[in-house]
Amino acid sequence: MNGADDNKVIVQVDKTVVKITGVDVKGLNIQELESLLKDKLKSMVRIIGVTGSSLEMDVYGIEEEDVLKEENGIIKAVALADGITLTDLAQISSVNKIKTVDINDVPSYSEGQCMKERWL
Amino acid sequence: MFTKAMIIPTGDELAAGIVLDTDAPEIMKNLLAINGSAEVVRIAPVIDKEEAIVNKIKESAANGYDLIVLIGGSGGGHRFSTTLGKDYTHSSLDMILSDKQEGALYGKNGHMWSKLVIGKLGDTLVFNVPGPYEEATATIKAFKDSYKKDSHNLEEINKSMLEALKAKYGA
Repeated sequence: MNGADDNKVIVQVDKTVVKITGVDVKGLNIQELESLLKDKLKSMVRIIGVTGSSLEMDVYGIEEEDVLKEENGIIKAVALADGITLTDLAQISSVNKIKTVDINDVPSYSEGQCMKERWL
Repeated sequence: MFTKAMIIPTGDELAAGIVLDTDAPEIMKNLLAINGSAEVVRIAPVIDKEEAIVNKIKESAANGYDLIVLIGGSGGGHRFSTTLGKDYTHSSLDMILSDKQEGALYGKNGHMWSKLVIGKLGDTLVFNVPGPYEEATATIKAFKDSYKKDSHNLEEINKSMLEALKAKYGA
């Protein structure tokens, strides 16, 4: 088999992408932060993006409004991680649940595009 | 059986010291579990640019490393958020490897979460693992187990790594 024969797996899991800004990040142990957030939210969390001033994470199985209700608790949990310092502007700046896909309404494909990313 | 292994972490956030590399020790532990007499080296993180990644792979292979493991950059997120890590590891491997096997995990919205590639560059076996610690740990363990069974069956190694990754999502 050649690389052209991709093995593709679709995972049926709901996730919400959460972005926190107003933090100073240096020397962060992502594993520790994920554990703190998992304890707080009682759900799986994956840190997917880190800059010197922001964090982005996937939160699984929790609705957008429930994430926003927990904003203060989430910010406090984040502050417990080594390598993160909160500023006065620390906040959840965006919460976006991923789109669901209607299997009967698959968007058209344009050349050069990843086949699976037509729905974004 | 490999005798000289190179671990190459990738990521601007690692190179800048914003996040710690907790993956590389796990990778090294598992490689040494396969061959305790091997030389295993972890180099400084490489930035998220295809050219930098490709050059480092070629340089390592030319220096006699017969196994190269890349960490991170396996997803597709950077195309949708400018603050996400740049995912150029799998595309770099796509460009230079032969006899390669690939497997990808997608969310139900069609977004590619992770692509795992394994293949050969000359006599050097090269593959990647995802950056998130639990995913890196699960996939390197799967690599270890399937490599010990049959180090030449890249299709089976890739498949077992993808299954281990999928299991991290309860799927």
